[in-house]
Amino acid sequence: MKTPYEILEVTEHASDSEIKQAYLQKVKLNPPDRDHEIFQHIHSAYETIKNVTSRENYALFNYPEADFDALLEQAFSTTQPSIMNADYFDKLLHASIDDKTFLIGNLTNTTA
Amino acid sequence: MNEIIIGIDLGTTNSEVAIIENGKVVVIADNNKKILPSFVGIDDQGDILVGESARNQYLVYPERTVKSIKRLMGQDIQVNLAGHAYAPQEISAIILKRLKAIAEQHVDQAVTKAVITVPAYFSDAQRQATREAGEIAGLEVVRMINEPTAAALAYGGNQVEQKRMLVYDLGGGTFDVSVVNIEAGVVEVLSSHGDNHLGGDDFDQQIIEHILDHLQETQGVDLRQHSKALARITRAAENAKLVLSDQPYAKIEEEYLLEHEGAAIHLSLELSRIDYEEMIEDYINATIDAVHIAMKGAKLTPADIDEILLVGGSTRTPCIRERLYNEFGFEPHSEVDPDLCVAMGAAIQAAMISGQEVNAVLVDVTPYTYGTSAIGYLNDEYYPFTYVPIIHKNTALPNRKTEAFVTNHDGQEVVNVTIYQGEDPDALNNIKIGEFLVEGLQDVEAGNVITLTLALDLNGMLHVSAQEKATGLEKSITIKNAFSRFEHGALDTARHRINKLFGQNETIRAVVKNEAPEIVEARKLIAKAEALFDITSNEDKEDMIDLIEDINSCIEAGLDDRLQESVAKLADIIYYLES
Repeated sequence: MKTPYEILEVTEHASDSEIKQAYLQKVKLNPPDRDHEIFQHIHSAYETIKNVTSRENYALFNYPEADFDALLEQAFSTTQPSIMNADYFDKLLHASIDDKTFLIGNLTNTTA
Repeated sequence: MNEIIIGIDLGTTNSEVAIIENGKVVVIADNNKKILPSFVGIDDQGDILVGESARNQYLVYPERTVKSIKRLMGQDIQVNLAGHAYAPQEISAIILKRLKAIAEQHVDQAVTKAVITVPAYFSDAQRQATREAGEIAGLEVVRMINEPTAAALAYGGNQVEQKRMLVYDLGGGTFDVSVVNIEAGVVEVLSSHGDNHLGGDDFDQQIIEHILDHLQETQGVDLRQHSKALARITRAAENAKLVLSDQPYAKIEEEYLLEHEGAAIHLSLELSRIDYEEMIEDYINATIDAVHIAMKGAKLTPADIDEILLVGGSTRTPCIRERLYNEFGFEPHSEVDPDLCVAMGAAIQAAMISGQEVNAVLVDVTPYTYGTSAIGYLNDEYYPFTYVPIIHKNTALPNRKTEAFVTNHDGQEVVNVTIYQGEDPDALNNIKIGEFLVEGLQDVEAGNVITLTLALDLNGMLHVSAQEKATGLEKSITIKNAFSRFEHGALDTARHRINKLFGQNETIRAVVKNEAPEIVEARKLIAKAEALFDITSNEDKEDMIDLIEDINSCIEAGLDDRLQESVAKLADIIYYLES
C-alpha cells in the first residue's frame, strides 16, 4: 500500500502548494474519465495531505509504531515548556518511532 | 478518425448542440439559429414541430404544444400533446432527436453518441430520466455533466493563471451555483448547491399572476381556465420580463383576449422594474442563500473569488448583477454567451471522451450527501432511523465508500437497506431514493457484519451493494428512476412511438437499394406493425417488438429461414389485430 506521499510523488516536507501542483499534474495525466480507481487514489491522497491539519491527522493515525508512552514521557520531561507547534510535534512523533532515547533538548536545538 | 460525440445542452427554455471542429468549439446553427427553443408541438397535419415553429404555434394551439418539459423530468406523470399522453422522457427525446438531426446534417454522417448536460442539482431520478430520453432519441448518453461545470470548462479551459470562480447558473427552470478552481489545466469543482425547481419560469409566473389578478379586478373575469388567453398572457409576461432587463417600465398590451358576456376583453397594463423585482425578491434571496452555502462548502470567503461567471438567460435580470456585486464587490463576467457556454462545455467534454487532445481536465463533485439509516441515537435518545451519511456532499466524482454495519438481533435473516439523499440526522427527514432487502443471512447471533458500498459514478448516479462479510452473499442495485421506471421494453416502445411521430422509420430509412424482395417485404411489415402499436395491448406489443428485433437481426445476419419464420409470425399477429 503506497502512502499518499508516494502516490503524489512528493517528499514528506513538501509545502501545500508543492503538494497541490503535484496533485494537479497527476490529475491531468489521469483524468477521472480514464481510470476511476487511479483517480480516486490520487484524489484521496491529496485530500489526506493537502494542508497542515490533514497531514497531522494522517501522521497521528498512520505512523507505524509510535510508542505513545515514550512520546508522552518526552513531552512531559521537558524542563522549559515550549510551544507545541506542528513542526515540533512532527519531530517528536518521529523521534518516538526512530529513537526512543531522543531528548527534548536535542529537539529544541535542531529547530532553533 | 475519431467517432463523433456531440455535446448537448438540453435546457428548460432553450437547447443547443455543439461539436469540436478542427480544435474549435462550434455551436451548430439550424437555419442560422444556434438556439432551439425547447418547445414540442403537433401541427394540423399531425406532423411534429420542434423549436421555433412549435413555440409560435403555442399561442394558437397551446393544447397541441408542450413547453418547459425539463421541469417535469424524473416525475411519474404524463403530459398531453394533441390528445396523446407522453412521459416527460418522450417529449425530451423529441427535442434530442431534433438536435441529433441538426448535428447529423452538419457533419454529414450518423451521430449516435452524446454528452448531455444536466443541472448540478438534478437528483438521481432526474438524471436517469435524462439518460432515458437520450436512449429513446437513439443517442447513447456517454456522459452527463453538470451545467455550471460545463460552463466553467468552456470558459476556463484556456486559462493559464490560477482562478477561483463562482458559477451562477439561473436557467428557465433550475438554479445551480458552483465554486470552481481552475489551475494548471484542471477545472476542479470545489462545491455545488442549487434548487432544481427555481428559474425564469417562476419569474414569468409571478407576472402572469399579476396580470390575471389585474384582469379579475378591473374586468371581473377569471382567465385561468381559458388556455388560449392564458397562452397569450404567458407570452406577454415573458416579453415584459425581457423588456424589464433593459428598461425601467414595460407595457403589457394584448387586444381581444376573450369575449366575455358580449364584450371584448383587452389587456393594457404597465409594469415597473421595481414592482417586478419585488415580485421575484424571494426567489433571488433563495439564490443568494445558495451562493453562501456553496461558498461555505468550498471553505472560501468572497475575497477568495477572482471571477463570477453568469450562465443561463435568467441572469440577464439586472437585480441579480446588483446582488452579486453587493456580495463580492466586483461585476460578474459577461464575455461568454450565457446561452451557449453550457453546450460548448459539453462538446469539450465529448471530445475528451472520444480521445481528442483537450487542454482541460474536469473534476466534479456531488451536491448531495448519500447515506443509509441504522439503529442509533438521535439527540441522546434511542432512535431506529438515525441517518448514517456515507458519501458526503462536495465529494469528488467518481467515489466509492464502504461502511460496516452489524445485525441487531440473534438469528436475524434479513436486513432492510434504505438509501437516503440529504443532510438531516433523522433519516426520515431526508429523501428516500431506494430500498432493498438482503435475505438469507446465516443463522448467527447479533453482530453479523454487513458491509454497505455506495459508488457514485461520473454521471452522478448511485450504485449500491450490500454484502454479508462472512459468506460473501451480495445484493446490489443501481438507484434507478424511483418514480417512473422505464424498463427495457418500455424504452423500445417509446422509441418506436417517437420515431413514428417524426413520420420516418429508421429501419426503412436504412434500406439499401439492392435488397432482396423478401427483406423489403419484411420491412414493410415492420412499418405496418409499428403503426398498430397505439391500438395494441401491451402483451401483443411486446411480442411484436420481440419479433421485429428478431427480424432485424436476421436481416443483418442473413438468416433467411429464421427470417421467414418470424415474418410469418408477425404477419399473423397483424392479421389478428386488423380483423
